Amino acid sequence: MSRRLPRPSVVFTIIVLLCLYAPIVIVVLYSVNKDEALLHWEGFTWKWYSQAFHDDDVRKAFGVSIQVAILSTLISLVIAVTAGLWWRRASRRARRAVDGLTFSRIVLPEVVFALGLFVLFRKLDIALGVGAIVVGHVVFISAYATIIIQTRLATMNDTLEEAAADLGASPWRVFRRVTLPALAPAVAVAALLSMTFSFDDVIASQFLGGPNAQTLPVLVLGKIRLHLTPEVNAIGVGLMVITLLSFTIAGLIAMLRPTGAGSVLGLGRRAR
Amino acid sequence: MQTTRPAAAQTTPPGAEQAPSRAVRGLGRHTLALPSLGWTVLFFVAPLVLLVLYSFGTRNVLTYEVEFGWTLQNYSDVWHGLYIDALLRSLALSAAATFACLLIGFPVAYTIARAGRRMQLVLLLLVMVPFWTSFVVRTYGVFNVIGDRGPLQQLLKALGLVGGDIHLLFTPVGVGIGIVYTYLPLMILPLYVALERIDPALLEAASDLGARPVRTLLRVIVPLALPGIVGGCVLVGIPATGEYVIPQILGGGKTLMIGNVIADQFLEIGDFPFGAALAMVLTAIVMAILLLVRARADRGETVTS
Repeated sequence: MSRRLPRPSVVFTIIVLLCLYAPIVIVVLYSVNKDEALLHWEGFTWKWYSQAFHDDDVRKAFGVSIQVAILSTLISLVIAVTAGLWWRRASRRARRAVDGLTFSRIVLPEVVFALGLFVLFRKLDIALGVGAIVVGHVVFISAYATIIIQTRLATMNDTLEEAAADLGASPWRVFRRVTLPALAPAVAVAALLSMTFSFDDVIASQFLGGPNAQTLPVLVLGKIRLHLTPEVNAIGVGLMVITLLSFTIAGLIAMLRPTGAGSVLGLGRRAR
Repeated sequence: MQTTRPAAAQTTPPGAEQAPSRAVRGLGRHTLALPSLGWTVLFFVAPLVLLVLYSFGTRNVLTYEVEFGWTLQNYSDVWHGLYIDALLRSLALSAAATFACLLIGFPVAYTIARAGRRMQLVLLLLVMVPFWTSFVVRTYGVFNVIGDRGPLQQLLKALGLVGGDIHLLFTPVGVGIGIVYTYLPLMILPLYVALERIDPALLEAASDLGARPVRTLLRVIVPLALPGIVGGCVLVGIPATGEYVIPQILGGGKTLMIGNVIADQFLEIGDFPFGAALAMVLTAIVMAILLLVRARADRGETVTS
């Protein structure tokens, strides 16, 4: 593999990487820039962070985001694990049909199914808010979680489970004591990714939140569009740190333990 | 995109399907599928069916209530100037951005694939880290960079590439830059996976047999990397076509893509039947692209995972 590198492509790669980081670095710089108009560098300040921290809208939105992320993750995990266990024993045809449904929850434009839910809730007179956002998030998040769990289960040997069952363990006991421990790293990664996807979502959150439940990314979007202040940069850095942190932890678990998360994390696809 | 289904077939012992272990039989064969199927039917299939029904319905002008019916009026309205424009603009922008991602991503993926083992990991991480930060904030980052007095503007002027002021923010080009920036990592990854697998001996063979680098690229590397190219284009092109957030921020309400136009029909204008028809057209386009790719994949022209 260690062939001589063609120079221009290395230079090009470095430029592309710089371009990938420049916008992020600028947000970080703006977040500590004294200049209110954000035109020049006028010295370092924590002012915007403290402003964001004491902003009631931001606090409320953060609460909503966390609430939504935890609820949608819990529901998605139940869906993913049960679906995975079913999938392992299902016939090929049943699998194909259900895989199709899982896949379409990921590829269908989020705008389309989020608006479908919006219309459904209107029709049934169900109020928009945290619950509605959770319903929308689970639709696509559970699909990613399902793929992770299924991929892990597909590579798992079921000899131990067979042995436990033969020795007289009840199905629930087999699941608790044998299957779940082996599945735990995959469940942990699925949980972290689910929380991140939920926390990062804009579309379903905006369409289904209504006037009273605004998540943090939706709040940021509103501020960018209508009321741009330096505070946005500080909130943005906070958002980035949270998302990056949970992705990093998920990545570390995926690297150290078999999880089946490769395809979703986008790294180590070959490793599985 | 594709999970590892073939592997599943290999690791399942023969006969396991006919004779499930006692443990699993006890749990009930299909009750386990209920949470997933229930949620999908209630909150994914049902809303889509409702949209399909709405798309053939009419709106009562007085009450704003939707009346079900079988009119094709909503679909023929799609062809009106404003809407067909947004649709075509979305497709063109998405196609152009995907192609730009491919042009930028290919050399990068190739460089990564030819680097040393440890360097490969470092470079891949460097590509992925921006992707792992918040979507809204990344798009806002681009908003800052391409703004009228932003760094890109200043750089282009300093390099003497542009004479006067150019406006990128709130134009289709600006939205396109945003799409390329946000989705580039999704193009680089599958390209890398495909390129990394190419045996260097093949490239040596090509050059030993007298092929010039360009010929090797076009006749050896690109055909072998085709699965990665197709995979990357799907990963970028599909979400880009229905993009909503990027045009919201970088289009400034001027350059709208079809996703925004659909959302406006529901959230601002309140014309559910017409919005539903637009949503169905977008869905049909996305499905058509995927089916096309899949048909090619089934013919053995692409192999993912």
